[in-house]
Amino acid sequence: MLKTIKALALIALFAATTVPASAQDASWDDVVAAAKKEGKLVLYNMSAGAPYFQAVVKSFEQKYGISVDSLDLRASELVERIRTEQSAGRFLGDTEIVSTTMIEEQLKNGDFIQKLPQIPNAANIRPPFKVTDYSAPAYVQPMGILINTRLVKDADIPTSWNDLTDPKWKGKLLSDDMRPLGSGNTLFAILQKTMGAEFNEKLAEQKPVFSRDIRNDARRIARGEYPVYITQVFALASDLKGLPVKVVIPKEGAPYAQMDMAMLKSAPHPNAARLFMQHFLSVDSQLAYANGWMLPVVQAAADKADADAKPFANAKLIGPAQLSERPGMMALARKLYP
Amino acid sequence: MTLSADNRVSELVTAPSRSRAAARWPWSGGTPAGRFIGLTLLALLLAFLTVYPLSMLLYGSLHSTPPGAAGVFNLDGYRDIFTQRNLLVLLNTVGISLAKTVPSVFLAVFLAWILARTDTPFRGSLEVLVTLPFFIPPILTAMAWGMLGNPQVGLLNQLYQGITGSTTSPINVYSYGGVIWHMTQYAVPFLFLLIVDAFRAMDPSLEEAARMCGATRLRTFFTVTLKLMLPALTGATILSFMRGIENFESPLFFGSPANIHVITTDIYDSINQRSPPQYQYATAISFVIMALMFLIILLQWGLLRGRSFQTVTGKGYSPAVMKLGKWRWATFAFCVLFFVITVVLPVGQLLIGSFFKFFGFYEWDMLTLDHYREVFGSGEFWHGFRNTMLLGFMGATLTMGLGGIVAYISVRTRWRGRRLIDAMAWLPWMMPGIVLGVGFLWGFALLPHAIPIYGTIWALLLAYISLGTPLSVRVMSSAYAQLSFDLEECSRVHGASWLQTMQRIMIALVWPSFAVGWVLVFFGIMRELSASVLLYSVDSEVLSVVLLKLWANGNAEQVSVIGLLMMAMVIVFRWVQLRVIRKWVGAL
Repeated sequence: MLKTIKALALIALFAATTVPASAQDASWDDVVAAAKKEGKLVLYNMSAGAPYFQAVVKSFEQKYGISVDSLDLRASELVERIRTEQSAGRFLGDTEIVSTTMIEEQLKNGDFIQKLPQIPNAANIRPPFKVTDYSAPAYVQPMGILINTRLVKDADIPTSWNDLTDPKWKGKLLSDDMRPLGSGNTLFAILQKTMGAEFNEKLAEQKPVFSRDIRNDARRIARGEYPVYITQVFALASDLKGLPVKVVIPKEGAPYAQMDMAMLKSAPHPNAARLFMQHFLSVDSQLAYANGWMLPVVQAAADKADADAKPFANAKLIGPAQLSERPGMMALARKLYP
Repeated sequence: MTLSADNRVSELVTAPSRSRAAARWPWSGGTPAGRFIGLTLLALLLAFLTVYPLSMLLYGSLHSTPPGAAGVFNLDGYRDIFTQRNLLVLLNTVGISLAKTVPSVFLAVFLAWILARTDTPFRGSLEVLVTLPFFIPPILTAMAWGMLGNPQVGLLNQLYQGITGSTTSPINVYSYGGVIWHMTQYAVPFLFLLIVDAFRAMDPSLEEAARMCGATRLRTFFTVTLKLMLPALTGATILSFMRGIENFESPLFFGSPANIHVITTDIYDSINQRSPPQYQYATAISFVIMALMFLIILLQWGLLRGRSFQTVTGKGYSPAVMKLGKWRWATFAFCVLFFVITVVLPVGQLLIGSFFKFFGFYEWDMLTLDHYREVFGSGEFWHGFRNTMLLGFMGATLTMGLGGIVAYISVRTRWRGRRLIDAMAWLPWMMPGIVLGVGFLWGFALLPHAIPIYGTIWALLLAYISLGTPLSVRVMSSAYAQLSFDLEECSRVHGASWLQTMQRIMIALVWPSFAVGWVLVFFGIMRELSASVLLYSVDSEVLSVVLLKLWANGNAEQVSVIGLLMMAMVIVFRWVQLRVIRKWVGAL
């Protein structure tokens, strides 16, 4: 009798662990089939056609035979376009890949995104990144210090953010403008919190020169206009191989902005959107980002990254900047840099 | 049939008869009912293209949230404008625009006079070459001048230091001077293009008359040549001043590092760099700017009212040019110098850089043709190129057609409502482009879904027509203002129908201006980004969006390749315009 009970218990346990999985597989197969039937995905993003993004889109199209209409816009344009379209009852987009704070703002200001359906590959996401009710982490954009290797001696290479406050760098620092929204202010806000208020005050005394052209800044460093650039997004230096520049990750860590995926309200192709998110969180897709010096949210991808990309894929992070603190940080930056 | 040259010189000051012919010739407007219907349709079209997107922006300026979002009506946006800081920013903006417009006008007038009214050698080729800077994407010249004129390692400073042995850097593009210089580089060819045909179309007998009456060359230039150019000159100057107020790239790239703020960077920040975007503030400040610009236009109307500027008359004249003797080589050298500084220096950087892996690193092992291969092998580039060509040809032709009609009614008739139509056509240029783009987005997206504009290529076409109309109207107005009414009268007296008169006289004689305007509008469409990026869809991606994406991905060298391609197109277009079309017009 006892044996029978044990056997039944084992069967019950087996059933409890296997049936939902196969049911899940079956239901996921349904999602894939429905997505293929939809045949199309409209993706709003801020990648501006970056090669790793295009590689992921292409592999999705090839794997599932679903065409992707990718609309690349800058942050403010993207948000306003989604808001306007939805206000006008034009539900054209399926998925967006935007920053965490933009999603927070969308949730705060209106009803633009819908609750996230279950994405099996979300189980791959490594801590501290988490899936929320409305969004899943896509990738992370950390910042370090860029130096000109011809102008900065090995002994002078900054290893800490505090090293930038050394008087020898006065007037020699280039930075993305810290006053408006953007990389500069994100870094300013995170370092204010992690390095203490004194850090930003001392940095301001160094009179860093501000620029508004983030894509040209690394080249200005390479040409020798300035020896140090404060706000270097890792990935934006990945295509400068051959130039006399090097990205340094300070020991305290790299301030970062997180990019998330969300499904837009009344998405016309909801299954394709769900399938794309699943694909984006696969190891192969995340590896494409890791090798482009973006920090992947899947550990296996960070482990598999190319040798030159590995330090960036596994960088220690500090942050992120909080949406609620943003107005105060922008005001403080304007005060320190009048 | 026509006034003598002397009469016409004196008429410059006294004649009040701007639209006599139209008043006398009822055929010029058809029946009153037909005229009313035509005018109403035109007004409705202009209202949709210009007033409708602006009305969306007006709503945005008076409402706490953008259209479609819950909020309340208030004046917070306008209240926020009136701060001491904004006053300083406004003065700064006006000062910078004036500082670039005034020397640009002098330079452009001088160049136009040299190339249209003198026997300077190679003036045909020079005329194409001096206009090239206008057609280069500003982001490229900003990068090139950043490399040439930065105080640390700028090539010009290094050259100066190499020659003089000094350690100082006299050139710093990250300054007021840099901002003004970068703007001037675009303003001179723009002004030149707008006024050169007015110089060329002028009957030299007017100048000869002044000379025969004892006026010196200088006095003749100022009292006859320049005054007859007033409509073209004031219109072009105002457009240039407005472009200066609305200029965005120069202060952003060269002003921001030096803490130089202008209205457009303020507007840009309030939309793109604030959380959440401050549309109410951005639109409110844009309407204040618009009001200021409208005052300037009223000033121009006041300046030109009651005067006649007809220099193309029925009387035959030889388009003779002034013989400068040995001085023609001095004028030639001046044009070459202008070309070298504004084109060869920056474009040379772009051209050389396009053959190396990275700009500024000119080493043998970095020589490559990859950037050309990547651009010409890119499906996205060709897709954007095709769309842009389609929109450019259609947009420029329709815009110039619309501009021609508006200008004709405004300049050559006394119809009621003509002032309103003229004013409506001005509107898009009074609103900074980065804000107007948002107006189009709001306007087109909120149309009933049955009107298939939003998300299609037609949204871009309509926006381009709207953005180009002020320029087309100004170009065509200047051209029509120069045509004597006796030409139309003469045609009619000889039995030509209204249509024949239009075709053989009114269109044929303004064709050179139409062609210049067409090229300007066409390349304006090629470069337009603010509206394009908000209105494009995957199927209607245009070249400016492709350029933006390439730039954002760090492919400055590929952007240069496309910039050089655009310049090559300019040369071809201008060559066609100057050689083929004029030959055809001459045969009419």
